[in-house]
Amino acid sequence: MAAIEFRSVSKRFGKTMAVDDVSFRIEDGEFFCFFGPPLSGKSTILRLILGLERPDAGEILFDGRPVTEVGPAERNVAMVFQNLALFPHLTARGNVEFPLRERKVDAATMARRVAEVAEKLHIGHILNKLPAHLSGGERQRVAIARALVRDPVAYLMDDPISALDARLREETRVELKRIQTELGRTLIYVTHDQEEAMSIADRMAVLEAGRIRQIGTPTDVYDRPESDYVARLLGSPMINILEAVGEGPQVRLAGGAIALDGAAVPAGTVRVGVRPENLALREGSDATVYEVEPLGSFTVVTLTAGDERLRALLRGQPQVVPDSRVGLHVDPAKLHFFAEDGRRVAASAA
Amino acid sequence: MSSIHLKALTKSFGNFEAIKQMDLMVRDGEFLALLGPSGCGKSTTMNIIAGMEAPSTGRVFFDERDVSDVPMTRRGVGFVFQNYAIFTHMNVRANLAYGLRMRGVGPAEIDRRVAAIAEFLQLTPFLDQPSAKLSVNILQRLAIGRSAIVEPAIFLLDEPLSNVDAAFRAVMRTELKHLQRQFKQTMVYVTHDQLEAMTMADRIAVMDHGVLQQVGTPLEVYNNPANIFVARFIGSPGMNLVPATLVERDGALLADLGAAGASRPLEAGLAAAARAAGAREVWFGFRPEGVNLAADGQGLAVTITFLERIGSRTIVHFDAAGTAGKAVFENDVPLAAGTVAQLVPADALVRLFDRQSGLAIGGA
Repeated sequence: MAAIEFRSVSKRFGKTMAVDDVSFRIEDGEFFCFFGPPLSGKSTILRLILGLERPDAGEILFDGRPVTEVGPAERNVAMVFQNLALFPHLTARGNVEFPLRERKVDAATMARRVAEVAEKLHIGHILNKLPAHLSGGERQRVAIARALVRDPVAYLMDDPISALDARLREETRVELKRIQTELGRTLIYVTHDQEEAMSIADRMAVLEAGRIRQIGTPTDVYDRPESDYVARLLGSPMINILEAVGEGPQVRLAGGAIALDGAAVPAGTVRVGVRPENLALREGSDATVYEVEPLGSFTVVTLTAGDERLRALLRGQPQVVPDSRVGLHVDPAKLHFFAEDGRRVAASAA
Repeated sequence: MSSIHLKALTKSFGNFEAIKQMDLMVRDGEFLALLGPSGCGKSTTMNIIAGMEAPSTGRVFFDERDVSDVPMTRRGVGFVFQNYAIFTHMNVRANLAYGLRMRGVGPAEIDRRVAAIAEFLQLTPFLDQPSAKLSVNILQRLAIGRSAIVEPAIFLLDEPLSNVDAAFRAVMRTELKHLQRQFKQTMVYVTHDQLEAMTMADRIAVMDHGVLQQVGTPLEVYNNPANIFVARFIGSPGMNLVPATLVERDGALLADLGAAGASRPLEAGLAAAARAAGAREVWFGFRPEGVNLAADGQGLAVTITFLERIGSRTIVHFDAAGTAGKAVFENDVPLAAGTVAQLVPADALVRLFDRQSGLAIGGA
């Protein structure tokens, strides 16, 4: 078991700063998620933790001990790959035993270790089956068992369930979270799927171009994004980021179409974020309905107001007619204010 | 513009019946989604409409015209594949113009239409870029543009958004729907993603194992699924189904949920339908969203197994006497994993399905 810490770590590939002055501390037993778009540095951070890459600058510590010079084998960090990478010709047992066989562990120890992880992961009854005969969730468990059998200090997963279809992904991520909670091991998880990150992480780091833009619990990051960049990455449909027009209490959004109904807009605000679930429709003619998308439990309404396109997420199945004019209302308590450089501006105390 | 009519269609590959007897009418100017899990026959159905496959038996009509024996190239169908089929040696403009050039359209008209479609799909800045180096998101728009530009009467799309990232997918859903509403092509859209089908389609044809399960508007299939397959497949998460026995008590029809909790009286219309059907052993179905918390003994007694907070929503995973289910709440709910809670589905949202056949009782 280990706490994993980066102190000002950088890694350059050619002209690209893949990881740029990154610092964080992942606590022992934590489910920690690196989240960001492709090429934001997530996978490079994993490779640095594994010891597959050497940092150009900075220090990596496990439990306070520098490991920058320690090779991958001695770091004892296990990796579960994107495609699970189970050997199709080996049974579940054969797959789980594999890392121990590689290390020439004796038969009695091997049997004991396999029995232990099989019990933890509830796969005792499927050990004699081939991967082809297992469900997606069972394969996942076998892959994790194979990672765990070495008793690693932490295990890493690089987008492990991205290949599954939406429904199965929703089931599997819950399963993963349960397994991690039961095992209590440090799990470092990379994903580009915001819903997955929010669903399973204890804490998450949001990355952009090799830099960490924000670290926090999913709720913190969703409710208090520190930049419009982070705000845009979390939530579906995406947050509306609208140009603020006017000054002080007269500030309006979307080319003047939306009044803020007395919200205290802090000085320095250039853009205002409104989550689709905080935008309501009412009688009026602030905006034109562009498209209506029913989801059953929700309805997504895309609107045009001024020069901007915005989205409202309405509960239930309201009747909204495409091309009609509607009024808009935002809850002043649920606004996010951003400055010219994209950083969050704290709401006024008033 | 054209309607599509599939009459008594079947398709077998060797011993495998990809489509077992299918009748489907796609109306002129309609956006129809063919929705189902992989292997359900949706892509085969689309290939038959396009003329890439011949049906084993049955006929395909465009309007009143039998096109079963008309080759693909003469059906006047635009097709967008999952893998784009872009000419990588041409730039974006040449790719867009290709279909028009093949049809002998004049250069001025080509320029006008390329400019219009590029504007609509936000491809204008990329027009002179080589297509080999474009991102997946732009390639996808280009693939759609290349088919749309020839203004086909029928537009077929096979999972066109499956490879693009989530944020862009949401934008493209809206744009495709808007495009179709503006131009009123007859559009058939194949997808395994119920969200895509719900958000875009005028009607959804749900398929499973080569059989058409239900055809209806998104809200029809969501509100009144024809059977338990559709009930589970539509919605995110899908409908909860708890085994129940219907019992008469003091002139009222109740759903006895057994060990899972109190008996629930059925709403009058549903009770009448259940009596008429002589139903007894049923699935008691309710949507995760239509659930309230109740006092002890009032509802379904469940053990909370897991809480997932996703943005402003909380998904509560529960176990009801051995049946797993989910409830969705806005914001935080005063529930904790490992505790017992009482859930009450809103009466008007309860649906019943026959336990033997899986078919809906009343409603659909």
